[in-house]
Amino acid sequence: MTSIRCWTVIAGMLVLTASLLGLATAPAETCLSPFVKRLDRPEKYLYVFCVDADAKDNDFLAVIDVDASSTKYGQILYQLDLGSAGNETHHFGFTDDRTHIWGCSLFSNRLFVINVADDPAKPKLVKSIDSFKETGFTGPHSPYALPGRMLISFLGGKDGGIPAGIAEFANDGRFIRKFEFGGEAPYGYDVAINPDLNRMVTSSFTPPRNYRKPLAKMDLKQFGDKLLIWDFRDRKVLQTLTTAASPLECRWSLKKDAKHGYVNCALADSIWVWEGDAENHYTTRKLCDTGKLPVDLSQSPDGRFLFVSCFASDEVQQWDVSDLKNPKLFSTAKPGVEPNMLHLTGDGQRMYVTNSLLSTMDRSQDFWVRLIRVGPDGMKMDPKFNVDLTKLKTGPARGHDMLLY
Amino acid sequence: MFAMGLLVALLNPAAKTEDSRLAVIRTPADFTLTAEDGKPFQLSSLRGKVVLVSFVFTTCNGTCPATTHRMVLAAETLAKAGLSDKVHLLSITLDPARDKPAVLRDYMRLYDIDPKHWTFLTGSQEQIDKVLSDWGMWARPAANGQLDHPSRVFLLDPRGRLREIYDLQFFRPPWVREDVQLLLKKAGKRTAQP
Repeated sequence: MTSIRCWTVIAGMLVLTASLLGLATAPAETCLSPFVKRLDRPEKYLYVFCVDADAKDNDFLAVIDVDASSTKYGQILYQLDLGSAGNETHHFGFTDDRTHIWGCSLFSNRLFVINVADDPAKPKLVKSIDSFKETGFTGPHSPYALPGRMLISFLGGKDGGIPAGIAEFANDGRFIRKFEFGGEAPYGYDVAINPDLNRMVTSSFTPPRNYRKPLAKMDLKQFGDKLLIWDFRDRKVLQTLTTAASPLECRWSLKKDAKHGYVNCALADSIWVWEGDAENHYTTRKLCDTGKLPVDLSQSPDGRFLFVSCFASDEVQQWDVSDLKNPKLFSTAKPGVEPNMLHLTGDGQRMYVTNSLLSTMDRSQDFWVRLIRVGPDGMKMDPKFNVDLTKLKTGPARGHDMLLY
Repeated sequence: MFAMGLLVALLNPAAKTEDSRLAVIRTPADFTLTAEDGKPFQLSSLRGKVVLVSFVFTTCNGTCPATTHRMVLAAETLAKAGLSDKVHLLSITLDPARDKPAVLRDYMRLYDIDPKHWTFLTGSQEQIDKVLSDWGMWARPAANGQLDHPSRVFLLDPRGRLREIYDLQFFRPPWVREDVQLLLKKAGKRTAQP
């Protein structure tokens, strides 16, 4: 090996190590795919996916100023009209290069592709995709970035029933392929990938024909209780695991070399953990009991804490999970009625909260976006940050998922 | 252990999957750019080979050195498996104004790159922009004076179809070798069919 090449290789390895270390510490904003480019600065804009509350006006994406130095801090700067109403706009996610947001609609099956890179303060709708036409699935839920592609999890199949599945699209919107669930695990919900382990986890909720009904009329027998462990590269299911009813958000632990992850079981008021052994064989068990109806789950950048929003007991709980055998409730915050989606910043210090779950499940009409400050002593509400979503020109709006730019 | 995993996967009916894990994502349009030796180079001239394509620029102090280093490791792994003649690597500059053929040759020498199996490409800004657009890539000035860009490596099968997109985290030489072998095996089967 020539000396110049030797130095080049050493330099390359240092850069590679630094780069991969960067990747290893980057997965804060823990609900994002690990393939998404992370922010290298504090957030300036908060995007909130909003459902027009009475479904008479078009749904929209709200742009909120969250630049602490801005004179318009905490104000809605812009509303991107999505061109149609009654979509039940729900979860959204960045493409790997963080230039576009893909938004999923639980009622209309539309996927909205939104450009945020050209003008982050005024995103533009690039296209909407009829995901049922492309895939045969219904109820698109989690848009999850892969390199150059988007993986979408679906809650249902034909006629809003089961089996559900997952599908892949190119970043430009072209459908690539799909995988239909089946057997004893036909339900779909979330997806989470651990590239280091080459493992993917999918979870299970209930199909559109059930969640489109009012809460009181939903059939509780039509909810899943399974997690699927996949070989990610092969896109093949290796194991079907059982949890309690309705395992929702899947989060791989961010602790170094961890082989476990967490899921909130909404109908069983608990968080469960899946754990892999040395041979990547997985088991599940209940980790802790939470407040009522845990609907979203976030994680501190170091993997020490879990944050869980308890929709029916109006609280957000912070759990210390540094000892998996002995999880401890560390702090509790009361943002207001029905806290739902949580979005933690990359530094783990600010967590934005919305409070709409589904138009069929919300019991309050008081919609807002609020902020929890996370410090060494736990969570504290920021009284100065309160975005009221009830007094818009189009009337009240249900804010659900959030992303930062 | 692998056999047991395979058996578990075969017996588990939890999802109906396609026969190939490397889906056909799309077929990028053919292009002609200028190689590091100053001669025209056409993508379609590589039909029959598996191709790995990266997008880098020589003055990058971000992820490009890591990308090129990983490509070097992948090339070494493929060589050890006796696959060098069945695979070609391409690196397309994101900065054609600076990365002229002579600059690319210097860059290749730094990494001890064999031009027989790995070609660096440049062209006019218009030509490069067209290729970037077709491959879903982009480059734009960053605040630090560098170029901001995604770090992806693309895998083409012997028919020129895009079959995988790696990021740095997922671009692991043993996995790349497995993917290349899978594509060559499928291409071999196709050729053998009457």
